[in-house]
Amino acid sequence: MAGLPPLNEEDMRTLDAALDELLRRSDAEAALVIDKGGPLISQRGAAGKFDSTTVAALAAGAFSATDMMARHLGETSLAHIYQQGRQVSLLISNVDENLLLITVFPAALGVGTVKYYAADAVARMAAQMEKAAQRDPGAGLDLVSLNTLDVSEVFRKRQ
Amino acid sequence: MAIINQATKELQLKIVYYGPGKGGKTTNLEQVHANIGNVQEKGKLVSLATSSDRTLFFDFLPIEAMAIKGFKTKFQLYTVPGQVIYNTTRQLVLRGVDGIVFVADSQYEKMAENVESFQNLDDNLKALKLNIADIPYVMQYNKRDLPAAAPVDYMEFLLNNREVQVPSYTSVASKCEGVFEALNMITRMLLNKYINEGARKAA
Repeated sequence: MAGLPPLNEEDMRTLDAALDELLRRSDAEAALVIDKGGPLISQRGAAGKFDSTTVAALAAGAFSATDMMARHLGETSLAHIYQQGRQVSLLISNVDENLLLITVFPAALGVGTVKYYAADAVARMAAQMEKAAQRDPGAGLDLVSLNTLDVSEVFRKRQ
Repeated sequence: MAIINQATKELQLKIVYYGPGKGGKTTNLEQVHANIGNVQEKGKLVSLATSSDRTLFFDFLPIEAMAIKGFKTKFQLYTVPGQVIYNTTRQLVLRGVDGIVFVADSQYEKMAENVESFQNLDDNLKALKLNIADIPYVMQYNKRDLPAAAPVDYMEFLLNNREVQVPSYTSVASKCEGVFEALNMITRMLLNKYINEGARKAA
Protein backbone atom coordinates (compact mmCIF):
# COMPACT_ATOMS: atom_id res chain seq x y z
CA MET A 1 0.00 0.00 0.00
CA ALA A 2 1.70 3.17 -1.21
CA GLY A 3 -0.49 5.59 0.73
CA LEU A 4 -1.94 8.88 -0.43
CA PRO A 5 0.63 11.07 -2.23
CA PRO A 6 1.14 14.59 -0.84
CA LEU A 7 -1.58 16.83 -2.21
CA ASN A 8 -0.85 20.22 -3.76
CA GLU A 9 -3.08 23.09 -4.85
CA GLU A 10 -3.77 21.60 -8.27
CA ASP A 11 -4.90 18.34 -6.65
CA MET A 12 -7.20 20.14 -4.25
CA ARG A 13 -8.65 22.32 -7.03
CA THR A 14 -9.42 19.24 -9.10
CA LEU A 15 -10.95 17.32 -6.19
CA ASP A 16 -13.11 20.30 -5.20
CA ALA A 17 -14.19 20.92 -8.81
CA ALA A 18 -15.22 17.26 -9.14
CA LEU A 19 -17.25 17.49 -5.92
CA ASP A 20 -18.90 20.78 -7.01
CA GLU A 21 -19.79 19.35 -10.41
CA LEU A 22 -21.28 16.24 -8.79
CA LEU A 23 -23.46 18.38 -6.50
CA ARG A 24 -24.55 20.66 -9.33
CA ARG A 25 -25.54 17.83 -11.67
CA SER A 26 -27.07 15.39 -9.20
CA ASP A 27 -28.84 17.71 -6.72
CA ALA A 28 -27.11 15.89 -3.87
CA GLU A 29 -26.70 17.82 -0.61
CA ALA A 30 -23.08 17.22 0.24
CA ALA A 31 -20.04 15.46 -1.13
CA LEU A 32 -16.88 14.50 0.73
CA VAL A 33 -13.66 12.93 -0.35
CA ILE A 34 -11.89 10.96 2.37
CA ASP A 35 -8.87 8.74 2.85
CA LYS A 36 -9.66 5.05 3.37
CA GLY A 37 -7.88 5.28 6.73
CA GLY A 38 -10.56 7.72 7.91
CA PRO A 39 -9.26 11.31 7.53
CA LEU A 40 -11.37 13.86 5.66
CA ILE A 41 -9.61 15.40 2.65
CA SER A 42 -12.23 17.84 1.36
CA GLN A 43 -15.94 18.57 1.58
CA ARG A 44 -18.43 20.62 -0.44
CA GLY A 45 -22.11 21.45 -0.21
CA ALA A 46 -23.98 21.24 3.07
CA ALA A 47 -21.30 19.12 4.76
CA GLY A 48 -20.98 21.81 7.45
CA LYS A 49 -24.42 20.84 8.77
CA PHE A 50 -23.12 17.56 10.23
CA ASP A 51 -19.98 16.34 11.93
CA SER A 52 -18.11 15.48 8.75
CA THR A 53 -14.93 14.32 10.54
CA THR A 54 -16.89 11.64 12.39
CA VAL A 55 -18.93 10.72 9.30
CA ALA A 56 -15.65 10.28 7.38
CA ALA A 57 -14.18 7.95 10.03
CA LEU A 58 -17.37 5.89 10.20
CA ALA A 59 -17.74 5.71 6.40
CA ALA A 60 -14.15 4.50 6.05
CA GLY A 61 -14.84 1.80 8.66
CA ALA A 62 -18.13 0.79 7.02
CA PHE A 63 -16.56 0.55 3.57
CA SER A 64 -13.58 -1.46 4.86
CA ALA A 65 -15.87 -3.84 6.75
CA THR A 66 -18.15 -4.36 3.73
CA ASP A 67 -15.14 -4.83 1.47
CA MET A 68 -13.77 -7.49 3.82
CA MET A 69 -17.17 -9.17 4.00
CA ALA A 70 -17.37 -9.23 0.18
CA ARG A 71 -13.94 -10.82 -0.02
CA HIS A 72 -15.04 -13.54 2.40
CA LEU A 73 -17.89 -14.23 -0.04
CA GLY A 74 -15.50 -14.49 -2.96
CA GLU A 75 -16.13 -11.01 -4.40
CA THR A 76 -12.92 -9.13 -5.12
CA SER A 77 -14.28 -5.75 -6.15
CA LEU A 78 -16.50 -3.37 -4.21
CA ALA A 79 -17.44 -0.20 -6.11
CA HIS A 80 -20.14 1.34 -3.88
CA ILE A 81 -22.06 0.91 -0.67
CA TYR A 82 -25.46 2.50 -0.35
CA GLN A 83 -27.38 3.37 2.80
CA GLN A 84 -31.03 4.15 2.16
CA GLY A 85 -32.62 6.47 4.70
CA ARG A 86 -36.07 8.04 5.10
CA GLN A 87 -34.82 11.61 4.83
CA VAL A 88 -31.24 11.33 3.72
CA SER A 89 -29.36 8.60 1.89
CA LEU A 90 -25.67 7.97 1.49
CA LEU A 91 -23.57 6.55 -1.32
CA ILE A 92 -19.95 5.65 -0.64
CA SER A 93 -17.96 5.09 -3.83
CA ASN A 94 -14.50 3.66 -4.26
CA VAL A 95 -12.20 6.16 -6.01
CA ASP A 96 -8.88 4.33 -6.04
CA GLU A 97 -6.53 2.50 -3.69
CA ASN A 98 -6.59 5.37 -1.19
CA LEU A 99 -9.73 7.47 -1.53
CA LEU A 100 -13.48 7.20 -1.11
CA LEU A 101 -16.21 9.57 -2.27
CA ILE A 102 -19.20 10.07 0.04
CA THR A 103 -22.35 11.57 -1.48
CA VAL A 104 -25.17 12.62 0.85
CA PHE A 105 -28.49 13.15 -0.94
CA PRO A 106 -32.23 13.49 -0.23
CA ALA A 107 -33.86 10.07 0.03
CA ALA A 108 -36.39 11.14 -2.62
CA LEU A 109 -33.59 11.39 -5.17
CA GLY A 110 -32.93 8.06 -6.86
CA VAL A 111 -29.62 6.39 -6.11
CA GLY A 112 -29.24 5.62 -9.83
CA THR A 113 -28.94 9.32 -10.62
CA VAL A 114 -26.37 9.89 -7.92
CA LYS A 115 -24.40 6.80 -8.89
CA TYR A 116 -24.33 7.94 -12.52
CA TYR A 117 -22.86 11.36 -11.74
CA ALA A 118 -20.63 10.00 -8.97
CA ALA A 119 -18.94 7.78 -11.57
CA ASP A 120 -17.77 10.90 -13.44
CA ALA A 121 -16.46 12.47 -10.25
CA VAL A 122 -14.67 9.23 -9.32
CA ALA A 123 -12.97 9.05 -12.73
CA ARG A 124 -11.86 12.67 -12.54
CA MET A 125 -10.49 12.32 -9.01
CA ALA A 126 -8.76 9.01 -9.75
CA ALA A 127 -7.02 10.54 -12.79
CA GLN A 128 -5.74 13.44 -10.68
CA MET A 129 -4.48 11.10 -7.95
CA GLU A 130 -2.67 9.06 -10.59
CA LYS A 131 -1.01 12.28 -11.70
CA ALA A 132 -0.12 13.15 -8.09
CA ALA A 133 1.46 9.74 -7.54
CA GLN A 134 3.55 10.13 -10.71
CA ARG A 135 4.63 13.64 -9.77
CA ASP A 136 6.80 12.75 -6.80
CA PRO A 137 5.74 9.77 -4.75
CA GLY A 138 8.30 10.56 -2.02
CA ALA A 139 7.61 14.26 -1.60
CA GLY A 140 6.65 15.31 1.90
CA LEU A 141 5.79 18.36 3.90
CA ASP A 142 8.93 20.31 4.69
CA LEU A 143 9.11 20.41 8.46
CA VAL A 144 12.86 20.97 8.67
CA SER A 145 12.47 24.41 10.20
CA LEU A 146 10.28 23.05 12.96
CA ASN A 147 11.96 23.07 16.38
CA THR A 148 11.34 19.70 18.02
CA LEU A 149 11.38 21.32 21.45
CA ASP A 150 8.14 23.02 20.42
CA VAL A 151 6.44 19.68 20.01
CA SER A 152 7.48 18.08 23.30
CA GLU A 153 4.10 18.83 24.81
CA VAL A 154 1.57 19.17 22.03
CA PHE A 155 -1.24 18.06 24.33
CA ARG A 156 -1.51 19.52 27.83
CA LYS A 157 -3.65 18.12 30.59
CA ARG A 158 -6.08 20.61 32.03
CA GLN A 159 -5.02 21.57 35.56
CA MET B 1 0.10 6.87 6.32
CA ALA B 2 0.04 10.56 7.15
CA ILE B 3 -2.12 12.80 5.00
CA ILE B 4 0.03 15.67 3.80
CA ASN B 5 -1.84 18.56 2.26
CA GLN B 6 0.58 21.15 0.93
CA ALA B 7 -2.26 23.33 -0.35
CA THR B 8 -3.76 23.83 3.11
CA LYS B 9 -0.49 23.27 5.05
CA GLU B 10 -2.10 20.48 6.97
CA LEU B 11 -0.76 17.25 8.39
CA GLN B 12 -3.18 14.53 9.53
CA LEU B 13 -1.87 11.68 11.66
CA LYS B 14 -3.56 8.51 12.85
CA ILE B 15 -2.64 7.06 16.24
CA VAL B 16 -4.02 3.66 17.23
CA TYR B 17 -4.28 2.39 20.82
CA TYR B 18 -3.67 -1.36 20.69
CA GLY B 19 -3.55 -4.03 23.38
CA PRO B 20 -5.41 -6.87 25.08
CA GLY B 21 -9.10 -6.69 26.02
CA LYS B 22 -10.04 -4.66 29.09
CA GLY B 23 -6.52 -3.23 29.25
CA GLY B 24 -7.60 0.44 29.29
CA LYS B 25 -7.48 1.58 25.64
CA THR B 26 -10.94 3.14 25.66
CA THR B 27 -10.22 4.69 29.09
CA ASN B 28 -7.15 6.41 27.59
CA LEU B 29 -9.33 8.11 24.95
CA GLU B 30 -12.00 9.01 27.50
CA GLN B 31 -9.37 10.67 29.70
CA VAL B 32 -7.82 12.57 26.81
CA HIS B 33 -11.28 13.75 25.79
CA ALA B 34 -12.18 14.81 29.33
CA ASN B 35 -8.90 16.43 30.35
CA ILE B 36 -7.25 17.95 27.32
CA GLY B 37 -6.70 21.66 27.82
CA ASN B 38 -4.82 23.25 24.96
CA VAL B 39 -6.22 22.21 21.62
CA GLN B 40 -7.73 24.24 18.81
CA GLU B 41 -10.61 21.89 18.36
CA LYS B 42 -11.72 18.69 20.03
CA GLY B 43 -14.24 16.46 18.29
CA LYS B 44 -16.75 14.10 19.79
CA LEU B 45 -15.59 10.80 21.22
CA VAL B 46 -17.39 8.18 19.16
CA SER B 47 -17.60 4.63 20.51
CA LEU B 48 -18.90 1.68 18.55
CA ALA B 49 -19.44 -0.64 21.50
CA THR B 50 -21.50 -3.68 22.43
CA SER B 51 -24.40 -3.45 24.88
CA SER B 52 -21.97 -4.50 27.61
CA ASP B 53 -19.67 -1.56 26.80
CA ARG B 54 -16.96 -3.59 25.14
CA THR B 55 -15.46 -2.08 22.01
CA LEU B 56 -17.05 -3.67 18.94
CA PHE B 57 -15.39 -1.79 16.10
CA PHE B 58 -13.42 1.20 17.38
CA ASP B 59 -13.46 4.32 19.51
CA PHE B 60 -12.55 7.49 17.67
CA LEU B 61 -11.44 10.91 18.89
CA PRO B 62 -10.36 13.65 16.47
CA ILE B 63 -8.21 16.47 17.86
CA GLU B 64 -6.79 19.48 16.10
CA ALA B 65 -3.64 20.59 17.89
CA MET B 66 -2.31 24.12 18.07
CA ALA B 67 -0.67 25.13 14.80
CA ILE B 68 3.06 24.44 14.96
CA LYS B 69 4.91 27.09 12.99
CA GLY B 70 2.01 27.48 10.61
CA PHE B 71 1.35 23.77 10.16
CA LYS B 72 -2.11 22.69 11.16
CA THR B 73 -1.74 19.26 12.78
CA LYS B 74 -4.79 17.06 13.08
CA PHE B 75 -4.69 13.85 15.06
CA GLN B 76 -7.14 10.99 14.88
CA LEU B 77 -7.01 8.70 17.89
CA TYR B 78 -8.49 5.22 17.48
CA THR B 79 -8.74 2.15 19.68
CA VAL B 80 -9.11 -1.40 18.44
CA PRO B 81 -11.39 -4.01 20.02
CA GLY B 82 -9.18 -6.08 22.31
CA GLN B 83 -11.19 -9.27 22.30
CA VAL B 84 -9.46 -12.06 20.36
CA ILE B 85 -12.48 -12.77 18.12
CA TYR B 86 -12.40 -9.31 16.56
CA ASN B 87 -9.12 -9.70 14.73
CA THR B 88 -10.48 -8.76 11.31
CA THR B 89 -11.75 -5.52 12.81
CA ARG B 90 -8.34 -4.77 14.31
CA GLN B 91 -6.79 -5.10 10.86
CA LEU B 92 -9.32 -2.65 9.42
CA VAL B 93 -8.61 -0.06 12.11
CA LEU B 94 -4.86 -0.36 11.56
CA ARG B 95 -5.24 0.74 7.95
CA GLY B 96 -3.35 4.03 7.48
CA VAL B 97 -1.82 3.94 10.98
CA ASP B 98 1.05 6.34 11.68
CA GLY B 99 1.79 5.64 15.35
CA ILE B 100 0.76 3.16 18.04
CA VAL B 101 0.32 3.28 21.81
CA PHE B 102 0.44 -0.31 23.05
CA VAL B 103 -1.59 -0.45 26.27
CA ALA B 104 -0.53 -3.45 28.35
CA ASP B 105 -2.35 -4.66 31.46
CA SER B 106 0.12 -4.77 34.36
CA GLN B 107 -1.53 -7.63 36.24
CA TYR B 108 0.54 -10.84 36.36
CA GLU B 109 -2.37 -12.92 35.12
CA LYS B 110 -2.62 -10.77 31.99
CA MET B 111 0.99 -11.22 30.84
CA ALA B 112 0.21 -14.02 28.37
CA GLU B 113 -2.57 -11.88 26.86
CA ASN B 114 -0.19 -8.91 26.58
CA VAL B 115 2.41 -10.98 24.76
CA GLU B 116 -0.22 -12.55 22.51
CA SER B 117 -1.69 -9.14 21.69
CA PHE B 118 1.70 -7.70 20.77
CA GLN B 119 2.38 -10.67 18.52
CA ASN B 120 -1.06 -10.14 16.99
CA LEU B 121 -0.16 -6.48 16.32
CA ASP B 122 3.01 -7.58 14.55
CA ASP B 123 1.06 -10.14 12.48
CA ASN B 124 -1.67 -7.66 11.54
CA LEU B 125 0.87 -5.04 10.47
CA LYS B 126 2.58 -7.65 8.30
CA ALA B 127 -0.80 -8.48 6.73
CA LEU B 128 -0.97 -4.78 5.75
CA LYS B 129 2.60 -5.00 4.41
CA LEU B 130 3.88 -2.85 7.27
CA ASN B 131 6.78 -3.53 9.60
CA ILE B 132 6.61 -2.78 13.32
CA ALA B 133 10.22 -1.54 13.17
CA ASP B 134 9.17 1.23 10.76
CA ILE B 135 6.22 2.49 12.79
CA PRO B 136 6.76 4.71 15.83
CA TYR B 137 5.19 3.22 18.95
CA VAL B 138 5.34 3.52 22.72
CA MET B 139 4.49 1.07 25.49
CA GLN B 140 2.10 2.01 28.26
CA TYR B 141 2.01 -0.28 31.32
CA ASN B 142 -1.46 0.38 32.67
CA LYS B 143 -3.25 -0.43 35.93
CA ARG B 144 -0.15 0.17 38.08
CA ASP B 145 -2.43 0.82 41.07
CA LEU B 146 -3.58 -2.81 41.26
CA PRO B 147 -1.98 -5.03 43.92
CA ALA B 148 -1.18 -7.79 41.42
CA ALA B 149 0.82 -5.47 39.15
CA ALA B 150 4.02 -7.08 37.86
CA PRO B 151 7.32 -5.18 38.20
CA VAL B 152 8.05 -2.80 35.34
CA ASP B 153 11.40 -4.52 34.63
CA TYR B 154 9.58 -7.79 34.10
CA MET B 155 7.14 -6.15 31.66
CA GLU B 156 10.02 -4.50 29.84
CA PHE B 157 11.70 -7.89 29.51
CA LEU B 158 8.52 -9.49 28.16
CA LEU B 159 7.24 -6.73 25.90
CA ASN B 160 10.00 -4.25 25.15
CA ASN B 161 12.98 -6.47 24.54
CA ARG B 162 13.61 -6.03 20.83
CA GLU B 163 16.69 -4.61 19.13
CA VAL B 164 15.47 -1.06 19.66
CA GLN B 165 13.72 -0.42 22.97
CA VAL B 166 10.86 2.03 22.65
CA PRO B 167 9.82 4.60 25.29
CA SER B 168 7.61 3.09 27.98
CA TYR B 169 5.29 4.68 30.54
CA THR B 170 3.54 3.46 33.65
CA SER B 171 -0.05 4.55 33.97
CA VAL B 172 -3.29 4.47 35.86
CA ALA B 173 -5.51 5.48 32.96
CA SER B 174 -8.64 5.59 35.14
CA LYS B 175 -6.99 8.46 37.08
CA CYS B 176 -5.46 10.02 33.95
CA GLU B 177 -1.94 9.21 35.18
CA GLY B 178 0.52 8.46 32.37
CA VAL B 179 -2.08 9.08 29.66
CA PHE B 180 -0.81 12.42 28.34
CA GLU B 181 2.82 11.36 28.77
CA ALA B 182 2.37 8.45 26.33
CA LEU B 183 0.30 10.54 23.90
CA ASN B 184 2.82 13.38 23.85
CA MET B 185 5.70 10.99 23.30
CA ILE B 186 4.11 9.22 20.34
CA THR B 187 3.20 12.64 18.90
CA ARG B 188 6.78 13.82 19.29
CA MET B 189 8.11 10.65 17.64
CA LEU B 190 5.73 11.07 14.72
CA LEU B 191 6.54 14.74 14.13
CA ASN B 192 10.26 13.96 14.41
CA LYS B 193 9.83 11.26 11.78
CA TYR B 194 8.46 13.83 9.33
CA ILE B 195 11.11 16.38 10.28
CA ASN B 196 13.84 13.83 9.58
CA GLU B 197 12.25 12.77 6.31
CA GLY B 198 12.04 16.44 5.29
CA ALA B 199 15.71 16.93 6.20
CA ARG B 200 16.76 13.92 4.13
CA LYS B 201 14.89 15.27 1.12
CA ALA B 202 16.36 18.73 1.61
CA ALA B 203 19.92 17.28 1.67
